[in-house]
Amino acid sequence: MTTCDKCEKPAIYHDVRIVNGIHNTTHLCADHAIEAGINLGPIDLSIVLKEAGTVLSTDNAKSCDDCGMTIAQYKENSLLGCPTCYETFKEELEHIIAKVQDNHTQHVGRAPSQTTFEQDRHLQIRRLLKKLEAAVHEEEYEEAAVLRDQLRDLHDTGEHHEN
Amino acid sequence: MKIDIEHNCPFNSDHTPFGDVVLSSRARLARNLEGFPFVNRASTSDCKEVTSLVNRICNTDNQANKLEWVDMDELDSVTTTMFVERHLISNYLAKAEHPRAIAVGPELSRSVMVNEEDHIRIQSIRPGLQLQDVMNDVHLLDLQIEEAVCYAFHEQLGFITACPTNLGTGARFSVMLHLPGLRIIKDLQRIHQACEGMSLAIRGYRGEGSSTIADLFQVSNQITLGKTEEQLCEILANDFLPPVIEWERKARMQIAEKQLSKLDDQTFRSLGVLKNARLLTSEEAMQCLGNLRLGICLERIQDISMHTINQLIVEIHPAHLKYKYGHDLDADEINLCRSEHIRNKITP
Repeated sequence: MTTCDKCEKPAIYHDVRIVNGIHNTTHLCADHAIEAGINLGPIDLSIVLKEAGTVLSTDNAKSCDDCGMTIAQYKENSLLGCPTCYETFKEELEHIIAKVQDNHTQHVGRAPSQTTFEQDRHLQIRRLLKKLEAAVHEEEYEEAAVLRDQLRDLHDTGEHHEN
Repeated sequence: MKIDIEHNCPFNSDHTPFGDVVLSSRARLARNLEGFPFVNRASTSDCKEVTSLVNRICNTDNQANKLEWVDMDELDSVTTTMFVERHLISNYLAKAEHPRAIAVGPELSRSVMVNEEDHIRIQSIRPGLQLQDVMNDVHLLDLQIEEAVCYAFHEQLGFITACPTNLGTGARFSVMLHLPGLRIIKDLQRIHQACEGMSLAIRGYRGEGSSTIADLFQVSNQITLGKTEEQLCEILANDFLPPVIEWERKARMQIAEKQLSKLDDQTFRSLGVLKNARLLTSEEAMQCLGNLRLGICLERIQDISMHTINQLIVEIHPAHLKYKYGHDLDADEINLCRSEHIRNKITP
């Protein structure tokens, strides 16, 4: 790993120039790049997460019902696990979203058009299959039977619709 | 899939509005499918299901919207890297190991990445300043995909993305700028300040974390939430670019008037290297091409077109050279082929 020209930290800014055939290279860490007045471009989410550490550290064990992601895992790679994470970690994410989106919190752009019958049915099937898998795993066979019947109904509706 | 490098490159076009300063315009939309975990938490079967759902967009009879489907695992490594060098796909998509794909327009300017950081990344790239056109391109692709899948969407947060930095519109508009004039008169700080004031991000040629080379800079919107797609595009096209283009042009004129011998020395020294060197690294070649581009813009060189330089900026990358001169080239052979390729193109 290339280190900063001014200290031992890893360099995140690299500049190569060739003037009259001579290579001039500059490698700087985040602190020295900022000191040199260099705009490092996009907001570094890891810095925002570090700043938000106190908010996020309150409940590191809380996990998303749908995908199992925890805030600790999110802090590690800056990516959420599924759309439900935004509901699960709503409180924790509010600060981060406001920070990275320049205090904007409400979407005003285009929205997807209405979902079709087939898309909606496909989604319901996926959700039921997931629940069925969990019920079988937990040996909740009565609930599994109900879910199986709901799935059968959905399949029938699809065939009816196609006819 | 056989790709015709010579004829299918968006930079081959003669239509390059404001091409002296703006090398290319790009738009991308990030989308995810409702009911699926994001790619980083998805199982192999989830990824396969996403690819098979998105694959349906290729089944259209409309020739204008025709896309070619490529499973990334079926693509050889040279072509994969070529796609990265063209900015058609990301490094992440090229290197990941889960099921992923790309749907690409025959002209190689529009692409849909499947199972990148988000399930879907729609992209269009065009030469020169054509932000409105690339926005229309991705919008049409978005509508086409929407017919086949159901997007994850939230009333308040907009299109839901794996990273909160892409929430809302999921739209990122960017331009590749050539700013040698402002660098020479030491006024690049002005660009950084303009970016900061307009919530824009400035990066090097290869995007996030990359170094500055050949005075090429990528500028894009930093926020994606709280403004419409049109507003985000307008900030870049109407608020940021007109003054920046004017500053750069004025700086170039100032150099031509006051530092002509220095400009000529830089231009013809670079031409000399490109015409005579026998081993050229991509860094040195890029730097010389950048200097030559400035000399051509200021009419110090008239027998080489800007179009040729724009093409070379893409074609001198390792995978492009391997594709043309042999897949098994080692580093020294690539440097040799690079010098030969450039010499052939710039020698009348």
